[in-house]
Amino acid sequence: MYIKINNNHIELIKSANPYLIFATIFVFIIGLYYSLFQSPPDYIQGDSMRIMYIHVPSAWFALMTYSILAGSCVLWFITRNPLFNVVARSIAQVGMVFTLMSLITGSIWGKPTWGVWWVWDARLTSMLILFFLYIAYIFLWQAISNKELASKISAALAIIGFINIPIIKFSVDWWNTLHQPASISKLSTPSIDISMLIPLFIMTIACFLFLVTVSLIRFRLVLIENKMLRTIN
Amino acid sequence: MLNLIKRDLLLSFYSSANFFFTVSFFVLILILIPFAFGTQSDQLKLLFKGVVWIALALSIIITVDRIYNADYEDGNLDIIMQKNKTIEYLVISKYVTHWFIYCLPLLVILPILSFLFYLDYFETIQIFINLFIGSFGMVFIANFVSALTLGAKRTIFLKAIIMIPLFVPFIIFGSDAASWPILLGLSMLSFVISIYVTAYGLRLYGE
Repeated sequence: MYIKINNNHIELIKSANPYLIFATIFVFIIGLYYSLFQSPPDYIQGDSMRIMYIHVPSAWFALMTYSILAGSCVLWFITRNPLFNVVARSIAQVGMVFTLMSLITGSIWGKPTWGVWWVWDARLTSMLILFFLYIAYIFLWQAISNKELASKISAALAIIGFINIPIIKFSVDWWNTLHQPASISKLSTPSIDISMLIPLFIMTIACFLFLVTVSLIRFRLVLIENKMLRTIN
Repeated sequence: MLNLIKRDLLLSFYSSANFFFTVSFFVLILILIPFAFGTQSDQLKLLFKGVVWIALALSIIITVDRIYNADYEDGNLDIIMQKNKTIEYLVISKYVTHWFIYCLPLLVILPILSFLFYLDYFETIQIFINLFIGSFGMVFIANFVSALTLGAKRTIFLKAIIMIPLFVPFIIFGSDAASWPILLGLSMLSFVISIYVTAYGLRLYGE
């Protein structure tokens, strides 16, 4: 499992960048058109449920990004391939943005539906804790001056913080919360209409493209940063 | 291991100011409750059961800089680590001393405080048992955070940001008197995780 990044790869990433940005914006526009105009309003919640099309993908990707982060930290400890550390560090900021996004959109949706901006229930609180775990991962790396050490330390913290992910995932099943349980599952037939599933699917692709684009830009920056640190030390 | 415990306890007794500061800090946070929420006895009772956990968490957070940093800065940690091949002994002795110096005084002073807040004997014993179990878990977490952030100097806020999310399960299950078995399980789990992570962090910095 030894992958070496050379200058050709970096050039490839760099040249793919504008296309990725264009594709992200394009898919976002299509997804927004479908979710705002082409899908029916909910029969109870009305138009306010349309924020679900951005809330659900960002919450999914917040969890997925942390899983990738923790997984690549584990792989880095096992294989000692520095590429995994670069992946973990380049993906962290995007995950933080996704977490913040899902919290903000969730509370905007909560105001007309639940009547309050915020409820202290298990799903919401554990999501807020996930946000602070991202912050801890990012700022612990910045606080330690020896960067090689900082990567190892913050990777250990990321692996410990992974305990939170199953808590978030199963909080709606374990505790009796206000947040609704998952409606979309691959294993069973989804309890959501196909006309709402299509915009959600497009928005998920858009969020995935956003994740890929931004983390590839970050990936290049982290590699440059590593090179600079090597010349300084 | 016993020598290490003896050394740390003696060092802390020679500078007994630390010890009084932590106790005073704990007491002062709890004294703020009646000022902030008024002096109705049933309300105070309810608030005390929750705020005592916050006070414990905060008084452990302010002591997190004292666990390994002094030894790390004057080089004692390197010497101890060269002498002992199994670093886990050092970690366990640090758990014991940290709990003795900073948590035991709080637990001793707790019954007095709970009578000031109109709790009866039974409730006091329940809170005491929960705090006793939970304080071990919090000490384990504080130790590994302290070991991991040895290189980050003067970052008590960062340490608080790392530690508070990890304290959340203890506070959830601790403030409920009936769920002490879950709290015990959490403390045991945090011991298992903490001993490896602390040793890992110390080895990284000790090299």
